[in-house]
Amino acid sequence: MERKTELDTIERILASEEVLVPSSGFASAVMERVREESAAPPPIPFPWKRAIPGIALAVGVFGWGAYEMMRSASAMTISLAPIHLSSATLTGLESTGWVVLALGFSLLAWRFSLRLMGRAGLL
Amino acid sequence: MIAARESTTQGLVDSDLECVTRVLAGDLNAFEAIVRRWQGPLVNMAWRFCRDRGRAEELAQEAFTRAWRGLATWRREGSFSTWLFALAANVFRSELKRFPVATLPIEEITEPSHAPSQQDELERQSFKDGVRRAVLALPIRYREPIVLFYFHEMDVAAAAQTMKMAEGTFKARLSRGRELLRRRFPHLQEKSAGAAATILKTGRET
Repeated sequence: MERKTELDTIERILASEEVLVPSSGFASAVMERVREESAAPPPIPFPWKRAIPGIALAVGVFGWGAYEMMRSASAMTISLAPIHLSSATLTGLESTGWVVLALGFSLLAWRFSLRLMGRAGLL
Repeated sequence: MIAARESTTQGLVDSDLECVTRVLAGDLNAFEAIVRRWQGPLVNMAWRFCRDRGRAEELAQEAFTRAWRGLATWRREGSFSTWLFALAANVFRSELKRFPVATLPIEEITEPSHAPSQQDELERQSFKDGVRRAVLALPIRYREPIVLFYFHEMDVAAAAQTMKMAEGTFKARLSRGRELLRRRFPHLQEKSAGAAATILKTGRET
């Protein structure tokens, strides 16, 4: 009780909040929404069986593409001295590498978001 | 008196458990009892987060809907209210992140030059509104501990549980939030500055 008098003005204001009474139709509105949701058909699950071959193919193509890019890039680096590639070509190759890397990351992010959605029960 | 209160609390716990069991068994009407029992606390909690009655009810409705969807995730060893409040705080946080409450930056909330007189009700009310607006203008990491601390009647443990946060971290953020408010309203510290520290030490105001 003694400590109560020690509260400064800010404390007293925050501690003495008025109580709000929910409107009379609040509970009914909540129940209406819950009933609507329970009556709605369950969300269509993601067609994994059909999608997996396509995803595997895409991953394969991306992987193969990335591998080929890296291989050709490294071969070019080795023979840079005799060929004397222009700096514009080198920049282009470097950009392509970054694009492939970005695509790879996008694929990973997409897979990760799908997994998260699956865990949340949205798929 | 205490025994009567304890039996009421136990009754609520039993009742929540019974209602949840019935809802999970497919009886949707049992959820209405839960809504009616907890609508007051949830709407009031939402109100403290946004200071807008209509929005508070919308937020509370969203929280109840999510609670209904996730009822099976309530682990029976914890109290239903703790679970519900934590879920609601989470919903309010994410909804208010998506559509923030329009507030002035804390630096722009003006402090009155003196504490309001006891006689002038209007002045006192606008003064209280100013302090509460300043709470909403705090950075979210300090705002939420302050809102929940006073919502839980200065019970640090309950408020920290609602935020799913260690008590030490909670106390540190609460203290920092109060410090920001006090800096904003330096004239209001006419009473002991150690009051907050006293409460934080004991954990609960009596």
